[in-house]
Amino acid sequence: MNSTALLSAAKDGLLTGSVYALMATGLTLIFGVMDIINLAQGILVILAAYLSYALQIHWHIDLFVGLLITIPTMFVVGIVIERLFIGRLKGPEKTAMSILVTYAVSLLIEGALNMTFSVNDVQLQGWYVNRSFAIGSVHFGYIYMAGFVLAAVLLSSLYFMLYRTQFGVSVRASLADQTSAALVGIDVKRVSTICFGIGVAVTAAGGMIYGATNSFNASTSYDLISRLLTIIVLGGMGSLGGAMLAGVGMVFIGDMVGVIWSPVWSSMSYFIALTVVLLIRPQGLFGKQSARVA
Amino acid sequence: MAEDAFVSFRGVFAGYGGADVLKDVNCEVERGGVTTIVGPNGSGKSTLLKTVSGLLKPREGEIIFKGQNLVGKTPKEILKLGVVQVPQNHSLFREMTVQENVELGAFLVKDKKVVASRLNMIREMFPIVTERANDKAGSLSGGQQRLVEFARCLMLEPDLVVLDEPSMGLDPKTLKSMFATIKMMNNAGRTVLLVEQNARRALKMSHHGVVLENGKVRLSGTGSEVLNHPEIGALYLGGSIEETTAATVVPESPESESVE
Repeated sequence: MNSTALLSAAKDGLLTGSVYALMATGLTLIFGVMDIINLAQGILVILAAYLSYALQIHWHIDLFVGLLITIPTMFVVGIVIERLFIGRLKGPEKTAMSILVTYAVSLLIEGALNMTFSVNDVQLQGWYVNRSFAIGSVHFGYIYMAGFVLAAVLLSSLYFMLYRTQFGVSVRASLADQTSAALVGIDVKRVSTICFGIGVAVTAAGGMIYGATNSFNASTSYDLISRLLTIIVLGGMGSLGGAMLAGVGMVFIGDMVGVIWSPVWSSMSYFIALTVVLLIRPQGLFGKQSARVA
Repeated sequence: MAEDAFVSFRGVFAGYGGADVLKDVNCEVERGGVTTIVGPNGSGKSTLLKTVSGLLKPREGEIIFKGQNLVGKTPKEILKLGVVQVPQNHSLFREMTVQENVELGAFLVKDKKVVASRLNMIREMFPIVTERANDKAGSLSGGQQRLVEFARCLMLEPDLVVLDEPSMGLDPKTLKSMFATIKMMNNAGRTVLLVEQNARRALKMSHHGVVLENGKVRLSGTGSEVLNHPEIGALYLGGSIEETTAATVVPESPESESVE
């Protein structure tokens, strides 16, 4: 172990973690506004990655240019899922039922992807995928840097939307208290549908970066969803800031542990961190017991 | 229906999970007055208010306001008609500032100049909106939060203000100020529909009173008539009108008695 290895691990943690943060933000936004635990978020990331793959293979569309198509497409996919499955859930068992329903949606999408693309691993390609530049002794992969910038831009846009627009006020109010939001005239149902769409749309960017930095098939979604759930529970269910910090923090911790001790402990470190935090603070780092906040 | 009825409940049945809490409620809210609904816990007072604001859809019956049936309308549609509710539990968005909360009261008003003008008016009525404008609502005391909730509900310049147990959790001094604020809202032309556990105090300032028991209207009349009715005390001591007054109270209809 040397300082270069540590710096490199810290860099990887920060860059990769930002992409996880982006994907987890979508998940926590959906939970915060709708009380829905979207177990399909992992497979939706993979679906988005396959969409980028299809655009590249069949129409030779660059991965980043393809986002102009995949982001709106995934938004529509989110709206359709919300209308067909999620919007029908009501009553006190809604959250528990959402786990079953979104798991079923996940299985449907997984089956469709396996039939369409087979179970063989694929990886997204581009001239920048395997290139890097160096600052001192630390190498920065173009695709990781691009992922970091993309995540930063999209998360900043999300924050701008939340804190500078009328729709953002509706979302923040709905995040805090749906009944009170309805009583000031906010159409919570409409806000929920759009938030689900946004929560799924961010998987387009996350899926593209993930697919360019990892080989994947449909079953990769199980590893992804376990990581994403860990991130939003650690950050505090419904807390956007918590999801971002936990996303970056967990990958950072995992990479550091991998360098300092052993890569074997890298994945385990997420869950150890989660257990320790939940023992001290059951609502997660930024979660609140009485109300969720943006 | 009385000529000056502002809101009319006609045969309203409503409840949760298939069980009715309200069972054929028939009563009226007078235009320009304060109407207080009192009754023991579980009598359906808050449920009745939820049907007015659209949070709960009645299974049967009509709620007529300005000639329109509110049943089946969304909370947003009902707000647009001029009905604003301040719910029982504190409803401010704790992580937003006081000013953001108050501005949200005019969420449906798209003209920013109108919102600014109303905000100035509200600031004069409720100095706390200026004094604590940039503080998070969650940092205010219970009484202060209630005042900001009142301020917020007036931003829409509603015709009907629905208040669900506004005195809950307030100390005696704040309580006095809260009732004065309700009076002020009424003097400013708002019709007020109030559910209040502090029944005597509320009825004293009310033009009209309604007593709910087991989801049905058992008494209605002017505030002082309901307040001075011999059975009302017994009702609050845990008895029922039928048990305590079988000899003196004979409802004019099978379900309700008017003391007017």
